[in-house]
Amino acid sequence: MLILQILLNAIVLGSLYACIAAGFSLVWGVLNVINLMHGSFIVLGSYLAWGAYKALGVAPWTSLLIAAPVFFILGYGIQRGVLNRVIAAPVLVTLTLTFGLDLILNNAMLVAFKADYRQLVLDPSLGSLSVGSLVVPVDRIVAMIFSLLLTLALFFVLRRSRVGRAIVAVRMDRDAARLMGVDVPSIYATAFGLGTAMAGCAGVLLAMIFPISPIASGSYLGKAFVVCVLGGLGSVPGAVVGGLFLAIVESFGSLVLGPENAVTLSFGLLIVFLIVRPQGLLGKRGFE
Amino acid sequence: MLGLRFRSHSVRLLSMFACAVASTLTVMTVQAQEVIRFGAPLPLTGPLAPEALKQQQGYDLWAEQVNQAGGMKVGSKKMKVEIVYADYQSNTPRAVQTAEKLITQDKVNFLFSPFGSGAAKAASTVSEKYGVPTIASTASSAEVYDQGYKFLFGTFTPNDTLTTPLVKIVKQKAPEVKRVAILARNDLFPLAIAQEMDKAAKQYGLDVVFFEKYAINTMDHSSALSQIKAKAPQWIFVTGYINDLVLIKKQMEDQKMQAPVVTMIAGPAYKEFVTATGKTSENISSAAWWHPAERYQGQDIFGSTENYTKLFREKYKAEPDYAQASASVSGALFQMAIEKAGSLDRKKVRDELAGMSVQTFYGPVKFGPNGQINSLEPPVFQIQNGQPVVVYPAAIKQGDFRLGVK
Amino acid sequence: MKQRVYYGALALLVLLGCLPFLDSSYALRIGTFACMYAIMSVSWTVIGGFTGYPSFATAAFFGLGAYCGGVLINKGWPLFAAAGAAGVVAFAGALALGLVLLRLRGHYFAIASLAVAEVLRELTNTATELTGGGMGLNIPVSVTGSSSVMGEASFFFWAMWALLLLTFIVVRLIQESKLGFGLVCIKQNESAADMIGVNATIYKSLAFAFSGVFVAMAGALYAAWVHYIEPPDVFDVLFAVKPIVMALLGGLGSPAGALLGAFAFLGIEEAVWRNYLQIHSGVLGLLVVVLLLFLPDGMMSISKRLSQLGGRRG
Repeated sequence: MLILQILLNAIVLGSLYACIAAGFSLVWGVLNVINLMHGSFIVLGSYLAWGAYKALGVAPWTSLLIAAPVFFILGYGIQRGVLNRVIAAPVLVTLTLTFGLDLILNNAMLVAFKADYRQLVLDPSLGSLSVGSLVVPVDRIVAMIFSLLLTLALFFVLRRSRVGRAIVAVRMDRDAARLMGVDVPSIYATAFGLGTAMAGCAGVLLAMIFPISPIASGSYLGKAFVVCVLGGLGSVPGAVVGGLFLAIVESFGSLVLGPENAVTLSFGLLIVFLIVRPQGLLGKRGFE
Repeated sequence: MLGLRFRSHSVRLLSMFACAVASTLTVMTVQAQEVIRFGAPLPLTGPLAPEALKQQQGYDLWAEQVNQAGGMKVGSKKMKVEIVYADYQSNTPRAVQTAEKLITQDKVNFLFSPFGSGAAKAASTVSEKYGVPTIASTASSAEVYDQGYKFLFGTFTPNDTLTTPLVKIVKQKAPEVKRVAILARNDLFPLAIAQEMDKAAKQYGLDVVFFEKYAINTMDHSSALSQIKAKAPQWIFVTGYINDLVLIKKQMEDQKMQAPVVTMIAGPAYKEFVTATGKTSENISSAAWWHPAERYQGQDIFGSTENYTKLFREKYKAEPDYAQASASVSGALFQMAIEKAGSLDRKKVRDELAGMSVQTFYGPVKFGPNGQINSLEPPVFQIQNGQPVVVYPAAIKQGDFRLGVK
Repeated sequence: MKQRVYYGALALLVLLGCLPFLDSSYALRIGTFACMYAIMSVSWTVIGGFTGYPSFATAAFFGLGAYCGGVLINKGWPLFAAAGAAGVVAFAGALALGLVLLRLRGHYFAIASLAVAEVLRELTNTATELTGGGMGLNIPVSVTGSSSVMGEASFFFWAMWALLLLTFIVVRLIQESKLGFGLVCIKQNESAADMIGVNATIYKSLAFAFSGVFVAMAGALYAAWVHYIEPPDVFDVLFAVKPIVMALLGGLGSPAGALLGAFAFLGIEEAVWRNYLQIHSGVLGLLVVVLLLFLPDGMMSISKRLSQLGGRRG
């Protein structure tokens, strides 16, 4: 029974991980940029949900409708205004640039919201579902469903829409796409905007579950890294598979080796995957 | 041409470098000695940032009170107080550097320690070196004070003074409680508390059925909690900082975990904990070094616990907790020592602190030979009807210990 | 001209060695930190600058060195033996790890090297018997034999300074050597380098090892200097990021640039930190962004641009 309960916990948690990582993976895959601001975007999304609920009583799932366009514009703007200037520079430059931008964003949040932890407490609480002795909290199920829906939506945008096809084309071969008449800078900005929107929406959903503070951004970023590598770079289904896989390994690792080793295990796994299977569980081989 | 170019090149580089160094080493203008300067290194950024806010509130309230009263009496004149803050980014080496900067560059007269036992200990080397009396308002581990230092004082009693009363009261009120599960954050203070708890529980014949640590960056506790649930403990004891504890409490509720006794340290003393966990925090027990329900009459600037709580509410529209009170009392203790010494002489003030035996709003204060306070009896309290209620010691208790946490 | 910048930097270093005569213990502390960071950024140049592999392993080397040093000093080893041992462990470890990790490129390598520090930090956290785990490690032993405050401060400053001098000279020698030439070949075209007889795998691993050995020794000195270390402090991710920013600031691929970049960065950081209590990290971030957008080739390019300007005018 304990095993089943832990598996159930892991599946729910894994879907949240997927949502954390999907946008990060998209940006990394398409722009070849590691966006260190991703964690702070998530936290900013959480504040948005928290503020909307507290001030206007708007439920987080409704806040998604505001968060998605707001964060899309924010991301689009940052890419167009700042990142695009160095998009052709070596890996290190773009990485350090997002590091600097993250220092600014995080510091701004610290000043605006203070460091203390907030919590979005739904009233009435959604409670938990139980089947026999198995329990699942409803707020997590809600977050899971929405995060899977969001990821699915992203998947279809990339697969079906014109913009999505262009993004995929740029990802596969930038120069060929340009020759085919694709406006590459605008596609980059759109992809970055989509990635940011995913981060903001993830933050909105996670606000129901985790305490909110600017200082939480680092641990979201860490999870995004691991999930992204496990699932395969730039692949949306990969983020889901990677998230589930990570959550399962962490949960059972915690059972077998003790909770203190769960984090070690996830980073150890990351290194092993990078070496043995850099294409991830699903992705194609395509490093650098 | 080439030589010329090189020269201008290297001259520019060197002058840029010189500018950087100069700005680093510029000695601040020494202020005319009209104010007394207290240095306070705080973790304003980084993981400990929420704690820095509390420290700052405590110090500010004290300084404001002193200055409103026209300053403190030093010999024949009245002097105002200024607190010089600096951010050490929640990083211990930076804390030591910050302490040294405050002493040598900002020329502070006295120092408050950085947050927590680790940083306070590391920084105490510096203040000892310069002979600057230093009060640590958030360091409880005995190792901080066992270095034979003369200038370091602390307002927290050792960690076991929190856990032993808890075990005693549970033994007395719920003799049927036998199985204890302990989950600790793998970090200096939370881990030390958990180890004391483990010791005390075993000493009083309880059965520790689960004792695990979680890593500092743990984002989810469901697996560990499911394991605890499977052990069916009667007492769940969790340590961590407020974010950990809020999340763990929520996840305990998610998993419908119940136990006669649930204890958490150090979150429930903070108002934010009750706000964030809502009704589910009912009957959670905890212990802290101070509580606003205490009723002490003091000789300090705040006068009494009631008055302190009132002033705090007026300024911040919130209830004070032990972290803020300890910061405030540290200032008040400096004040009493300075006024008694009648001078800002560091050695004299240090001697006054060492020999001090006073009543304050925070409780009776007397430092042991190692500098750590030994006159305080930390209260055990419990969240009842959404309010923290003192249940021990008997002299100040507001209610009886209740069983059952859902 | 490169030669002259090198000697200029060297002269500056020697000048810095006179810092203890200022008799300011705070200046000594800053100076010791400056030397420590310069060791990191100069070391990083070997793997990041010459070879072109974006390594974030500096934090891992530093933490490893700090814990090796701390544990050995507590076992009664003399300081320099402990620091040497930390260097050897890091060198060997990096060599072995490099053989595996350096098969990755670009972001993949960056992430893997970053994760090494995370793993080591958590292992240190859990190996309580050896390292004290989350409680941190006390290194109460005084290794200097000097009881005076200034004596100890000067001792550690000089130790760190001497290590920096050694690092700088060794890295410079690497740059001039066959190894350095091979590394530059690898950076430009790895498969071509293989064809002209450069054993890329060995060369890269050596570069990785050299980027770690002095950093680990600095870690050991640091542990003895501060007497107390804990895992989040010595495996801090900023130890991985700052040396890179410093090297970028100085101009990528030049040890002298990395050295000057380290000093300039710390000077700026100190000034910003002093003047802005609440927003210093944001201001620092802004500086990093501005620098990357307008000076992508580092400080070295300022003078180049200026002299170009002057040249045109003349």
